[in-house]
Amino acid sequence: MIELRRADYEAIIAHARREAPRECCGLLAGHGSRVERVYEVPNRADAAAEFFAERGLYPEGKISGLRGPEVLTAERFFMDPEAQFRALRDMEARGLEHIGNYHSHPASPARPSRTDIELAAYWSHVYHLICSLADPEHPDLRAYRIVNGQVTEVPIRIIDEAESGSAVDR
Amino acid sequence: MAVKVMIPAPLRQFTGGQSSVDVQATTVGDALAALDQHFPGLRDRLVEPDGRLRRFVSVFVNGKDVRTLQGLETPLQEGDEVGIVPAMAGGR
Repeated sequence: MIELRRADYEAIIAHARREAPRECCGLLAGHGSRVERVYEVPNRADAAAEFFAERGLYPEGKISGLRGPEVLTAERFFMDPEAQFRALRDMEARGLEHIGNYHSHPASPARPSRTDIELAAYWSHVYHLICSLADPEHPDLRAYRIVNGQVTEVPIRIIDEAESGSAVDR
Repeated sequence: MAVKVMIPAPLRQFTGGQSSVDVQATTVGDALAALDQHFPGLRDRLVEPDGRLRRFVSVFVNGKDVRTLQGLETPLQEGDEVGIVPAMAGGR
């Protein structure tokens, strides 16, 4: 189970909608299974063509219908390394743990793709959240553990906290 | 130069859980080689056999990506902080 404040849940969905048709991505910090801070990170998949190509994961454009470089950000994410590093350092400075990553699937279900599973190899210790906008009226946010290629869905508990606002870093 | 190499959580399995390592180095490449003396095999995870930084890893000097500096040749000053982060990527 991962616990997410409603404001943070809404912030992830808002980020996904703002970036669509591109994939969005970000990091989640907190303690244990409780998210306390959301960090939006720019998607630099456009600069990571070789990274995907050398793994046989270059997007074919079947989902987005796109050709050319736009297909990269529509069907892949690659966190901006400096922004990712800054966010991880900020968490440490605040005494928070890095407990999750999130990204969006603008036009496909909220399930880890082959690409997600292969590239999660170094991140088996964190939750992976995916926000699907396949049905634009009904965003679907789901959480997973991905360990040695094995995917396990983890329930998300939304917490309503009237007094605590969202802490989102853009 | 005495510099501090910050080890990210995904790589701490190779450092016995240590989150930072102090080494003597004059370039980023030196620092990774020095790290490998403490923890043999770690450098191979970060650097290709031909000496290039692996694409899935980014290395930072005081928060600046060394790809925007001089790569593994980037010089280090006393007290610099060398960060390492594996890529976070996926999609669709």
